[in-house]
Amino acid sequence: MNYSGANTRQQPHITETFVQKVLAHLDDADETKLNNFLQLFSGSNPNAVVGAPAPAPPARIVFNGQRSTDAMAFLTLWNQQVVQTQHTLTALDYHVIPGSGTVVCNATAKVRFDESGRDKRGQDASVATPPGSAGSNGNNRSRGNNNNARQRQSWGPYFGISMQLVLDERVYRNDMHGVIHSLTYTMVYKPEDSLIDL
Amino acid sequence: MSFHNANSIAAAAAAQQQGQRVRIAVHNWQNATMQDLLNFVSRNARVGLTEPKVEGAVLMAYAPSRDQAMDVLKWNGANFAGNKLRFEIVGDPNGPNNGSGGSTVEFLRQVLLSRYDPQARMLNLGSLAQDPMMVQKGMFNSPSTQARMFPALLKVASREPQLQSVQSVNLADNGLRDITTIGSLAQTFPDLRNLCLANNQIGRLNALEAWKNKFKHLRELLMTNNQVTGNSMYRSEMMRIFPKLAILDNVMVRDAQRLDAIFTFPLKLQQFHFDNDQLAQTSTQFVTNFLNCWDSPNRCAQLLPLYTPQSQFSVCADTSVPPSTARDADQNPAFGFYVPHSRNINKVSSEKTLEQRLATGQEQIATAFRQLPASRHALQQDPQGYAMQTIEYPQVNGFMVVLHGYFEETAKPELEQQSSSSGNKYNNRGRRNNNSHSNNPASNRLSKKSFDRTWVVVPMNGSFIIASDILVVRTYTGNTWSEPAPVPVPTPVAAPVPGGIAPGGIAPGGIAPVPGANVPIAAAIPAGALPPTLQLPPDVAARLTPIQLDLLTKLHLQTKLNAEYTYMLAEQSGWNYDNAVKGFQASAGNLPPNAFVQ
Repeated sequence: MNYSGANTRQQPHITETFVQKVLAHLDDADETKLNNFLQLFSGSNPNAVVGAPAPAPPARIVFNGQRSTDAMAFLTLWNQQVVQTQHTLTALDYHVIPGSGTVVCNATAKVRFDESGRDKRGQDASVATPPGSAGSNGNNRSRGNNNNARQRQSWGPYFGISMQLVLDERVYRNDMHGVIHSLTYTMVYKPEDSLIDL
Repeated sequence: MSFHNANSIAAAAAAQQQGQRVRIAVHNWQNATMQDLLNFVSRNARVGLTEPKVEGAVLMAYAPSRDQAMDVLKWNGANFAGNKLRFEIVGDPNGPNNGSGGSTVEFLRQVLLSRYDPQARMLNLGSLAQDPMMVQKGMFNSPSTQARMFPALLKVASREPQLQSVQSVNLADNGLRDITTIGSLAQTFPDLRNLCLANNQIGRLNALEAWKNKFKHLRELLMTNNQVTGNSMYRSEMMRIFPKLAILDNVMVRDAQRLDAIFTFPLKLQQFHFDNDQLAQTSTQFVTNFLNCWDSPNRCAQLLPLYTPQSQFSVCADTSVPPSTARDADQNPAFGFYVPHSRNINKVSSEKTLEQRLATGQEQIATAFRQLPASRHALQQDPQGYAMQTIEYPQVNGFMVVLHGYFEETAKPELEQQSSSSGNKYNNRGRRNNNSHSNNPASNRLSKKSFDRTWVVVPMNGSFIIASDILVVRTYTGNTWSEPAPVPVPTPVAAPVPGGIAPGGIAPGGIAPVPGANVPIAAAIPAGALPPTLQLPPDVAARLTPIQLDLLTKLHLQTKLNAEYTYMLAEQSGWNYDNAVKGFQASAGNLPPNAFVQ
């Protein structure tokens, strides 16, 4: 097989570490780390400068059967519109495709969502209570939706996911930049007692 | 539970309090051992069944009390060892089958229906103590009978089809001090949106704690004229208990739109994705034909030509058990046929084992195929059970197909684990990593499994080459992309196609792409791509899967039946092309002329 100099003995470990890294990025609520995640995707160079070589084709991202226009659009949506998550890898297999310079990874995992009613920034949907209104008693007013982001999450039950990654073989040479050629992520089962509407 | 009158309610209550044991019959458990079953019930229902005894195909046992028996009955339909468990209470004097209490049930049913406004979807159970019918029946003769009345009423409500769409319940003016007697409201109407508990005597802040997160859609709660509303923590506690509450006592406490944004996942599931129309057609045909061959008795002979000396195949077992609240989740899965061959690098750390469990080239792949159970997929009979994504894979000038779904294991592997004495490297490997899964009869039973399968496919010389094939086998669960609802059928204008549809499998077809074939795949193709003579109503077409539309198109072109009859034929044949063609051939002579395209 053509591994292009990759260390084959380390491949399983590197593959698993990389997939865990992707899941950890999905779980990271810190917006400032978004660029670190973005840099893993092919064709997404947030630091590109004029005159630089043409970027690689953009990574294909298909999430729940829906294609995202590019990695930035997907990550922005994920960060702004999905509550905090917690992924746990349950199975992983991969094949290095000879002659293609690519690796196909097939992972299954479970994911649970923060069901505390707060988004990733810790903001909830509560509205200020006018003084004297029912139940306010004047002690609970103006709570607003600026709850502390560090409040404890309330994890819901687990959903099942299936995730496929097509990676560049450079990942085995400790080069993570732009190695994700494609990402498909599909929720395959859901618990009926979750507060999250899928 | 059924009640004859107020006295029998009290008697039933007394019987419960005495802890009278209840006999339970268990059906569909035989794929596992009796101890497996008892452990399952103990683990999930938290009930220890005693004096188990096998009577034919049924296991009889006792639950310590009626309440605990009811806890066991909640697991009716749970997947266990490949079957759906069925529990029933037998020989129970308070059971529904003893013939008593029917009149009380009917009485309560009439009370419920008389208080239901179907247009407003509102069930008004307010001021029940003032209801002349209830008073006359003696339902409020004593606190004891009153306490038993609400659970009985809600139980009857849960069985009444007309009340399944209730969105609002009024329980005002009922002298309630807490929710002890109406706790089951959350099970009876879990999708409730509006609840009124005004003018009761609820005083404690934690009185509603048992309902925490139980009403997932409750938007409005009215609690005025209850002492608890004066508590300084009242508002925040109600918001905690009801996470989607937007209006409390006529005051907005949450922004409903923002609530929806937080609790609604933004990326709605779509059953199919294809990068382009051509891939939709090609990959659907590939998958359909591949699985036909995979399920056939000569799996290897038909499929091996698609693999080259560099092709790779591996199986990966995800043995994790989904939560019991996932629809139809098997809580006692068996992976004995897969674990000895599984290349799950999340579980197997030995590099040598991982290398050995990767089958490369036709010979090893053939062996690997024969080490897996025979199976039956239901791609055409139950297309809602499958989801698929196909994306281009430019690095191999091909594409990657990902299929999610399920299969039934129909026979044990052709090659058992013990038979690996041929010296084949693939057969002999990983022995030290085999655990009890490999020899334990309970873990080697045949059952239904969910799976994800990923193929990297290269079209070549009018056929396909499979560069990579990863099969992930996991515990069976219902899927996320479909609800267990039948496909709607258009109203027929003539009698259905006469003649029975002969049962039979899908004839194995050759694997070959059909460039230019007139087989549109719906999800990725506009409706206009259907043959002009196959005009389906837009709402019907929108509900069909690409595979169903593919089948309709093939049938239409083959039979020349009009759209309506083509649909009926497909429906009657269980969406099986071969069965449909046989049915058509058997009954074509009896069809009216207007059944065909004019």
